[in-house]
Amino acid sequence: MRYGTYLVPAAIVITLGSLACKPPKTAEQIKQETQAAFNEGVQAFQDGKARTANPYLNDKENPHKMQGWNDGWDKAAADKAAADRAAADKAVADRAAADRAAADKAAAAEEAARKAAEADKAAAFKKAADAALVNIHFDYDKAEIKEKDRAILQGVAEFMKAFPAAKVEIEGHCDERGTNEYNLALGNRRAAAALAYLKTLGVDDARFTTISFGKEKPLCAEAKEGCWSLNRRGEFKLK
Amino acid sequence: MPRFLVRIFLCALVASGLRAQQTEVVLTATSSAKLVLAMPAPKTSGLDAALVATEYSAVLQRDLDESGVIAVLQERLPAEGAAVKAWKEAGAQWLLSAKLTRAANGELQLEASALDTAAEKGVFNRTYHANKIVPLRYLAHYLADDLVGRLTGEKGVASSRIVFVRQTSPGVKELFQVDRDGAGLIQLTRYGSLTLSPSVASDGRLAYVTYKGGAPEIWGQRKKDGPHEKLYPVSGAGGMLTSPVWSPDGKRLAFVQGDRRGNSDIMVLDLGSLRARRLTDSNGINTEPSWNPNGNQIAFTSDREGGPQVFLMQDDGSNLRRLTSEGLYNASPAWSPNGAMIAYVSRFEGKFDLFVYKLGEGRAYQITTGVSTSESPAWSPDERRMVFTSNRFGSSQLFTTDLSGRQILRLSELAGCQSPRWIRGH
Repeated sequence: MRYGTYLVPAAIVITLGSLACKPPKTAEQIKQETQAAFNEGVQAFQDGKARTANPYLNDKENPHKMQGWNDGWDKAAADKAAADRAAADKAVADRAAADRAAADKAAAAEEAARKAAEADKAAAFKKAADAALVNIHFDYDKAEIKEKDRAILQGVAEFMKAFPAAKVEIEGHCDERGTNEYNLALGNRRAAAALAYLKTLGVDDARFTTISFGKEKPLCAEAKEGCWSLNRRGEFKLK
Repeated sequence: MPRFLVRIFLCALVASGLRAQQTEVVLTATSSAKLVLAMPAPKTSGLDAALVATEYSAVLQRDLDESGVIAVLQERLPAEGAAVKAWKEAGAQWLLSAKLTRAANGELQLEASALDTAAEKGVFNRTYHANKIVPLRYLAHYLADDLVGRLTGEKGVASSRIVFVRQTSPGVKELFQVDRDGAGLIQLTRYGSLTLSPSVASDGRLAYVTYKGGAPEIWGQRKKDGPHEKLYPVSGAGGMLTSPVWSPDGKRLAFVQGDRRGNSDIMVLDLGSLRARRLTDSNGINTEPSWNPNGNQIAFTSDREGGPQVFLMQDDGSNLRRLTSEGLYNASPAWSPNGAMIAYVSRFEGKFDLFVYKLGEGRAYQITTGVSTSESPAWSPDERRMVFTSNRFGSSQLFTTDLSGRQILRLSELAGCQSPRWIRGH
């Protein structure tokens, strides 16, 4: 009981004191913090954001961090690293430029070949179009497709199937007999008749446009049947 | 009164049968129905006599002859300065005296008066002034119009113009206008492409079809004297478009739209709301709309019963009925300005001739009987004459005819003309 009078308060003081005080830093901890501060300083310098005052000067808590202030800065090593990096960048750029030049050359050759092929294709297309897109003819005031023109329309359909990108305008024309306006309507009907026939041959009708010129664009201007029958026509024009 | 006179001409036509020889210009000044007017040479001051003879006297005489109601006395003329009685004995019913003056600043003045030779009292007196940009011949037109107006109650059409389509090179057609007497040719469009089917509203606004963008579009003027702009299609592609025709009030435009199945339909575009309404039901060709003067009926050509025939309907497409019954090809109807007649063309033995259907009588009269084709009739604003195209001298040219078909005049020697329209004003 007598000893308790001193021991209990002493135990309490020791316990609370040990809880209130931070444990002292170990040598290892101090070394690490010093290194980190140093690294921070180097990085800031390399980034061009080097500080002009030591931020740890007034850090009374961690006096060891002052050692990190630009300590150990090796200018020669840093310059070499920068030169190496520049050289590496240049090498990469040079290689890329060389690759690009080679690719361009290859592409140009390919383009020339493609153009040649395209020209061949265009010539073939034009030849096929010239052969297939022939005028059809109609009877007076009629828009029915004539027996003898079916082969022509078959040819147009085959051309359209052979060249899926081709688009064609069907023109309807009339002879000079009859009124201008009625003939425009008749020309529209003739173009529509050709369109309907081509549709039955399996060609997508969205690839055709129709237009009527009535009697406004005759091929032949004389007032005789030879001329009139030439003018009563359907024309196929590439769009 | 005009209708009364028209009837007289048609009676004269029936009486003389169809023997009429068609020559280029047949100026008949002997019809008893016409008022005989004597027009001695005008007194002039400051003007060259030769100019007055060609630009005034000749113009006025032609205007009066073509009016169809006044005949100019040309034979057994009394001497210069003869008494009124002498003119009366020579056959003149009216004696016109005129005084033409050109002032120092170039302004023209025409003092005209007419005397009734029987009663020896004045029946007409008017003075015209014109600044120097107005041609002398226009003064003659104004005087002719007023003399006809004094006699019939309706102003003449000497000062009127024809708008028409003319081919300028193969595949290129443009709109032109020319005075009623063939003078003053003006080109109205320069698209370098097909431009067709002109229509002129009563206030002078044009509407027409042009292929300048490749596909046909309806262009025209929304405002009087305004710029030419696209009227239809409002957006996108319109297919086949022809025959825009202004309604008499100028607020609607009838036109024809064709579809890809070969049908064409009469449409009406409301210029206010830009809404287009279809009046016919896609059953073949329906084209060439022509409004009646009230704007509540439309005559048009349709082949719904076989060949082209003229039909009538209300402006909403109802009350459809066929007008023409004879012939296999009747087309191009033109409703007369007073509403009582419809002109059209009919094919007979391979040629086309003009006919006039009289709605009151329910029958048609043949106007032209030629070895050549006559097409595109359009009425004069006073309903006394029609302008049309004919190839009687080779290429298609403009002609006018009275309703008897006996007085056919070549309007101009321009070749390659089509679709004439006749309107008042220069």
